[in-house]
Amino acid sequence: MNTTESAIVARGLAKSYVDPKRGRVDALRGLDLECKQGEIFGLLGPNGAGKTTTLRILATILAPTAGSAMVAGVDVTKDPLEARRRIGFLSGTTGLYPRLTPRETLRYFGTLHGIEKEKLEARVEELIDTFSIRDYADGRCEALSTGQKQRVSIARAVLHDPAVLILDEPTTGLDILASSAMIEFIDAARGRGTCVLFSTHVLSEAERLCDRIGIIHRGTLLASGTLDELAQATGKEWLEDIFLALDREARASNGVPER
Amino acid sequence: MNVSLWRATWIVAWKELVAAFRDRQTTLYTIVLPIAMYPFLFWALIQGALFVQGREEQTEVRLGVSASSDAEIPAGLTQALSKRPTLPTKASAETSAVHAAEKPIAPMVVEARGEPLDESGARSWMAKRAEKKPKTAETPDAVLWLHGPGPASDAPEGGANVYFDSSTSHSDIAKKRTLSRLPVYAESLREERARAVGREIDELDPFRIDEPKDIAAEEHGGAFLLSLILPMLLVVMTVIGAFYPAVDFTAGERERNTAETTLLLPIPRLAVHQGKIAAVCACAVLATALNLFALALSAGHLVNMLRDESELDIALPIAAMLSVVPLALLFAVFVSAVLTSVAATAKTFKEGQALLGPVQMLFLFPAMAGAIPGLELSVPLCFVPVVNVVLSFRAMLKGQWLPLEYSLTALTLLVLAALSVWIALRVLGRESLISSSGKATFWSRFGFERTRKSNA
Repeated sequence: MNTTESAIVARGLAKSYVDPKRGRVDALRGLDLECKQGEIFGLLGPNGAGKTTTLRILATILAPTAGSAMVAGVDVTKDPLEARRRIGFLSGTTGLYPRLTPRETLRYFGTLHGIEKEKLEARVEELIDTFSIRDYADGRCEALSTGQKQRVSIARAVLHDPAVLILDEPTTGLDILASSAMIEFIDAARGRGTCVLFSTHVLSEAERLCDRIGIIHRGTLLASGTLDELAQATGKEWLEDIFLALDREARASNGVPER
Repeated sequence: MNVSLWRATWIVAWKELVAAFRDRQTTLYTIVLPIAMYPFLFWALIQGALFVQGREEQTEVRLGVSASSDAEIPAGLTQALSKRPTLPTKASAETSAVHAAEKPIAPMVVEARGEPLDESGARSWMAKRAEKKPKTAETPDAVLWLHGPGPASDAPEGGANVYFDSSTSHSDIAKKRTLSRLPVYAESLREERARAVGREIDELDPFRIDEPKDIAAEEHGGAFLLSLILPMLLVVMTVIGAFYPAVDFTAGERERNTAETTLLLPIPRLAVHQGKIAAVCACAVLATALNLFALALSAGHLVNMLRDESELDIALPIAAMLSVVPLALLFAVFVSAVLTSVAATAKTFKEGQALLGPVQMLFLFPAMAGAIPGLELSVPLCFVPVVNVVLSFRAMLKGQWLPLEYSLTALTLLVLAALSVWIALRVLGRESLISSSGKATFWSRFGFERTRKSNA
């Protein structure tokens, strides 16, 4: 596959909902986004900027109010089922079934992905070895440590060898070892030609891993590009300064007071 | 290779069941409780029966005595039946002494009709009870009908019938006392007669006491007993069986942070939601089936015990118990869908339990209608949810064949089950439940929201 081919394309993505207390809430306001195959794209933004909503729409968990999104060549609103077959999604809210074992969890997802029994068994064993799960593969997930759960979750997300990985704050809540393992995993995905789109608050992670970075604010993408491109556009050297400059600029233009 | 909708539904349901039965609470309510309930219930029943028996001994009952035109009411009969029997023979006297030592005085007012009545007269005299007419001083609890030559006669064909109403405890007591006292009195008259005519007692025909006749016609035996308790228990067990899985598979899943994981499954959302409802339904059916099985075992044991220790002769109506299965299955689907759709509107397990509490009552209160005496299944009642099921179960257990009423009940249940499944699917597919975005209004809780539907 051509590495410059777009793996994710979002155009005018909008998401609104009605909150009984706040009235109409516009979580996304015409967001445009493009990620290429084999690229690691980092989505940065303050809390409530719309990062999670964007990723959930791309993962077919939510439906957009307007706009369109293509993931691995599939329109997520028109064929969400096929889109789910091509996506691996991981977030802090994609927990493991506590009463199933890691092996049962992998078999369950594999069966529903339509992987034939023998191939599935081989794949499960391969993932158990790759992610060093064997010692606790047959114990219930509820008894696993956070790091062990994270390994099983990653194995679950890549079980069907997806073309696109969408990770929502993948290192939040992890200790240094588990966090480091996650960063290694994301880095390794680039080598396999997988497109990785991930959101994070940890700017050092984005600096270290991302081929391109997108800054999101109040439901729109303020800027996107490589670190050098963003530095050039803002006149700042470090990502933290770039982020703060763009955030300040966006707040000023929207009339939102600074924090 | 794509997985078909029904195979996906089955896989999701199976996974939910495996996970559910690894949860102690679900296992307790779905498996342990239905099995353990009946031995405990029957133990309590026996204790209650012993208490009631103690009270029975103190209860005053009335016996009416009537005779056919060719029979006569013996002069000493009224007095003999009014008091505890005393037997002239040595062995009998010993038995009686033991009997008297064991039991306190059991009063019975015996009233003989001045003019002979025929059998139908005796029945109608007694029938005032069964018709629930106000009891007068003359209304007996049971009637002793003497026909042919009386107990003192040496002629054959003489005998007696006892009419009673099994639906009232007073009538049942009167029957028991009559049947325990009459043979002793008849035997004493036979001995007296044998002595008077100078013959051996065995040469005289014994006085025949026929099987007591229950004027509460169709209400008899095990079926009657079961029809009193089983319908309500079936409803209760179905609701209890579905309760925890319904909360666990919906609100519990959100609390455990696995709802989003489930939505990532590469299968249609319909299959996910159908799988959940099917799993809840399977738990409800399992609880109901185990309930019936445990009831049959426990009741069978109880019946055998009672048969050995008393004259009680009842049989378990297994065929009648099986006849309720199709309706019970439909009811389980209805209950499961209702409980699932309500539990799905909750964000946490605790909230789910709190929401289902009142809903549970909506099933349990109408179920109590099954215990109301005299309430029978009628065409208008076929359209009243839960009441129709309880009364149908009751009629089926009594062996009544009411094709129109059963069909209407099944049809009503089918429509309700389909409607509840549809609502449950809408609720389970509600986007605001999936995400933290948006708080639910009352209508949006049940899937009636204006924003675009979630991804299929």
